[in-house]
Amino acid sequence: MTLDPVALLIRMLEIPSVSMHEAELAHFLAAEMARLGFESFVDEAGNAIGIIGAGPDVALLGHIDTVPGEIPVRIENGNLYGRGAVDAKGPFAAFICAAARLAASKERLPFRLVLIGAVEEEAASSKGARYAAERYHPIACVIGEPSGWDRITLGYKGRLLVDGVWEQPMSHSAGREASVAERAVAFWNEVAAHCEAHNQGRERLFDQLLPSLRSICTRSDGLTDRAELTIGVRLPPDIPPETLASTLAEHSHGGVLRFRDLCPAYQAEKNTPLARAFLRGIRAAGGTPGFLLKTGTSDMNIVGPVWRCPILAYGPGDSSLDHAPNEHIVIEEYLRAIEVLEHALRHLGSIPFK
Amino acid sequence: MRAICPECEAEITLPEGTIEGEILTCPDCAAELEVVSINPPELALAPEVEEDWGE
Repeated sequence: MTLDPVALLIRMLEIPSVSMHEAELAHFLAAEMARLGFESFVDEAGNAIGIIGAGPDVALLGHIDTVPGEIPVRIENGNLYGRGAVDAKGPFAAFICAAARLAASKERLPFRLVLIGAVEEEAASSKGARYAAERYHPIACVIGEPSGWDRITLGYKGRLLVDGVWEQPMSHSAGREASVAERAVAFWNEVAAHCEAHNQGRERLFDQLLPSLRSICTRSDGLTDRAELTIGVRLPPDIPPETLASTLAEHSHGGVLRFRDLCPAYQAEKNTPLARAFLRGIRAAGGTPGFLLKTGTSDMNIVGPVWRCPILAYGPGDSSLDHAPNEHIVIEEYLRAIEVLEHALRHLGSIPFK
Repeated sequence: MRAICPECEAEITLPEGTIEGEILTCPDCAAELEVVSINPPELALAPEVEEDWGE
């Protein structure tokens, strides 16, 4: 069965799949994988599943949802534009193409490849990955996220979101009492100061607490003043989100704080059979490999602690284009990544898991 | 199997069962080394861990 990698990705980009609206794309992918000879279906969570081979599972988990923002699908100067081109339809399309090549080669691999096109990664619910985490027990997992064709991602920071609300009876601005806006700003300043103190002597971004003020606003109904803010903090591996939440709760300045999207950081080992296979795969494709640690989060944060198997993230694309209005993938890089995946999976089949 | 550390030129004996892509530590200079070839045995400096914004 023939498969044109570029045509596949174009079709995937043409089907909108904003988080929680992935059904059309999931069914398209299940049909496409069936056409390629995979056992395929859409599972109860809405994930597109494709399976080939026999033996212990090796999971190729990519997400098929995107953030909003329509980008006309087009090719310009060797670049394929479209929402999700790098985050993360491109990486999942590369998974399908590499798996299809292995299937077509009739080569018998000592594992069962389970491709999981997961839903709701961008929604922070990570519904698809959470479902897969309970459903499968792989011996190795590749997360489909853009690392660049010659890079391997080993870890992602954790995350904590804080919503704060401050209310007080309205008073004259000439009064001595601090305004709700000042109390909210004081909380933000203390969060920033706490992070700055924590980061002293920690040079790597991966080891630091990285706060960001997402939004802040005030309002009044003439009787009560109200300030609202949302803060996001990216976490290092040694700070669980619950620990930071407890610390920040002590600095609320009388506000009501709500903590959500608690997600611990995850860092994988680099000296594993899986990483070795990818190092060899990148070198076989003419590259010089490198490892990455990312400041964002991914489905690795969800399945990594559950599966506790060799894991890494890999995929074509420049992650600085994630969510960007000019999101695109370099077609040559996309094709190169398929080559690397094919090599790496073949190597993985020849490496003992010691 | 013996190979040369590309950092300090020490001669390193590769343990039996060493495979391509494996990362070793040079006993002399502590450099992390990647086994890029078994036949002939060849070592390179292991990839650096870089940092990147984003997912």
